[in-house]
Amino acid sequence: MAGGGPGSGGSTDRTGTPRNPALAADIRDFTFHGAPAPALRDVALSFAPGSFTAILGASGSGKSTLGKLLAGWLPPGGHGRLAGFLEVAGTRLEFDGGAGDPRINPASWGRHVGFVPQDPGTVLSTVRATVAEELAFGLENAGMERSAMRAAVDRTAGLLGLRGQLGQDPARLSGGQLRRLAIGCAIISGPPVLIMDEPFASLDAAGSHELSALVRRLLADGTAVVILSQAMDAPLLEAHHWVVLEDGTATASGAPHRMTADSSLVPAAIRRPGQEAVLSTARPAGPPPNSPAALQLNGVSFAYPAAGGDRIRGSRAPRGKRRGQAQGAAGLNPLPAVLEDVHLAVHPGEIIAVTGPNGAGKSTLLRHFNGLLRPTAGSVLVGGADISGVPVGRTAASVGLLFQHPRDQLFERTVGREVRFGLDRLFGATAEERAAAALEATGLSGHAGEHPAELPASAQRLLALATVLARRPAVLALDEPTVALDGIGLGLLDAAVRQAAAEGAAVVLVTHDLGYARSAAHRIVALDGGRLVPA
Amino acid sequence: MTVRSAAGIVAPARRERLNPLTLLAAAGSTAVMTTAAASWALSLAVAAACLGLSVAGGTARRLLPAAAAVLVPLGLSLLVLHGLFFPEGRTVLAEWGPARITAEGLGFAVQRILLLAAVVLALLVFSFSVSVPDLVAALSAKGVQGRFAFVLASTLTLLPAIAARAERIRQAQESRGLVVSRRLLSRAAAFRLQAVPLVLSLVEDAATRATALESRGFSAAGPRTSYREVADSRTQRILRIVLVLAAVAAIVVRVVPAGAGA
Repeated sequence: MAGGGPGSGGSTDRTGTPRNPALAADIRDFTFHGAPAPALRDVALSFAPGSFTAILGASGSGKSTLGKLLAGWLPPGGHGRLAGFLEVAGTRLEFDGGAGDPRINPASWGRHVGFVPQDPGTVLSTVRATVAEELAFGLENAGMERSAMRAAVDRTAGLLGLRGQLGQDPARLSGGQLRRLAIGCAIISGPPVLIMDEPFASLDAAGSHELSALVRRLLADGTAVVILSQAMDAPLLEAHHWVVLEDGTATASGAPHRMTADSSLVPAAIRRPGQEAVLSTARPAGPPPNSPAALQLNGVSFAYPAAGGDRIRGSRAPRGKRRGQAQGAAGLNPLPAVLEDVHLAVHPGEIIAVTGPNGAGKSTLLRHFNGLLRPTAGSVLVGGADISGVPVGRTAASVGLLFQHPRDQLFERTVGREVRFGLDRLFGATAEERAAAALEATGLSGHAGEHPAELPASAQRLLALATVLARRPAVLALDEPTVALDGIGLGLLDAAVRQAAAEGAAVVLVTHDLGYARSAAHRIVALDGGRLVPA
Repeated sequence: MTVRSAAGIVAPARRERLNPLTLLAAAGSTAVMTTAAASWALSLAVAAACLGLSVAGGTARRLLPAAAAVLVPLGLSLLVLHGLFFPEGRTVLAEWGPARITAEGLGFAVQRILLLAAVVLALLVFSFSVSVPDLVAALSAKGVQGRFAFVLASTLTLLPAIAARAERIRQAQESRGLVVSRRLLSRAAAFRLQAVPLVLSLVEDAATRATALESRGFSAAGPRTSYREVADSRTQRILRIVLVLAAVAAIVVRVVPAGAGA
């Protein structure tokens, strides 16, 4: 509610001595065309060369809009009206939302400000055959000599640890590698400013560590680094300056130590380190003893066949075991096994967390629970029955699986219809009550009439969770459930998971977030070299 | 069998040394010269040579269905059109009212089908054997607009990308309990449910990608360079010029007497 006049935040948001900031902005008002209220107002920022700024905001706070506006990805006039100014490399562009506003040239803006969006896959050109060519794309467009391009590609790949992948097809990179490639594409031309939106989400400890090291190196070279985040990730404690964004307005700013000391400065919706410990004060009740396992994996092994690996994942999924096994056996040179002789039993009321680094095969393991992937050896039992040969859609009645990308799971016109989908066929008269309870549990009761695609990322994830909870499955399998959730979302997730377990569901969480795993689970197992070991 | 596999080994090695523009010039001038000559013997020879090249290059299995998809409907329509309604036809083989099958009409139709087959096969052999990244690099090195090269490359990368996305969505939805049976109605219903997130995500991705491309200087007006090195040689450059000149000469030879006669 800081209703100060234009530039009122300016004096508080300066980072010290920005005589000549690498990038500065004073956004008095930014409103999307047709929107009733401004997405951003009274945000004044200035980034000096070599400075490290973290902009913290919960889901829906306007954080990504701010990032895109600063990066020239949301040129004023095109998608919305801006009143205020943007200043890059000493040139100030004044906007008042009228026809006389200057126009931003994205290419020349991009030479000064590199941007890595939340979903790194979307920055790739998709028409370059190798990682090296993808890195060089921007340099080609600038007409750089080939020898200079080679040197730049080599230097950038070294900086990002991608030298081993230079000859690979970008479409086949892992999630972590893809993020590094997207960062590489943003920094290869050496922009004085780098803005990254949620770069630490979905990175494991090693990945975060490498990214922090990269940030330090860029800072030492004089690059101004800006990170947008909805969590006070540990690497952000190194920042010189934090800015808190709430409902589109900069509400507080200052040095991290000052901000963490005064809890009133940072809203509860922003996740803080150690928040999981707070959640866990009431440790979940253990499972009733001697109950039969709701989910059981007996000696499950799995390897992706080498030929056409990307196609195999889905095409054989809904078919029976025979076809899956035949294909697995027919692959003459299967890739190294992702799972090897995995044994796991989850009992009703039990919460188990599966941890492991990026690429360990956690998601692959989860996809065996409902038959999306079929083991090359061993068996999967749900409620005591072997699921080989049972269509995924039928196993789904007992196994609720939540994916990492909620948008793939959502397809209805409204939030309410989304949760009710298919319920009346299964539960008849109680369908309505179940849907309402699931919406209540995920804090979405007030959003039943909204379009799922228009919800912020955190709410979309909770909606996907609600669609699974409404069916009250015997087994609840969640893939990286904490990613993209803000502080409030995390609290709702935690409560919903405990509630489901208390009602007798067997819960398996796959997460790289050890803190959350410790607080939420009865038992933690780690996936290491294809085998499950107690963590 | 041995001939085929031996040729299969040789062909890719040779292709790597060929500049994609040389391949393009060869395919284009073959198509032009065959059309200009309009001789069934030449058409037949070109079609046979293309099939031979395709078998040798190991692309026959993908090429034949594509060629059939284009040629069968077009061939049938030519046969009906010229076979039944050919005004100059004298030797009538059969007659139903205004429609008459004449020997000349059939001959003309077969000649046209052979010509069409030769042209289509020449272009398909090219498109199935050319390396798209090489072609894009070669075109942009020649100063062809980035946009054109991008569209060309996208047409070949877009479909697999959409298929992969649709697959991911299907998996996510099956995990929500959608049972897709073999029944047509069930499949149609499933398609509707998958189309919504598919289209939404493609539109959103396209918007983000367009912005990303712009900020990476994709629309820049200045000269462009290419990271990818594409093999080329003096011989190939001369060969390309000769091929283009030959195509032009074929057109001139075909058009000039017709014009002089008129």
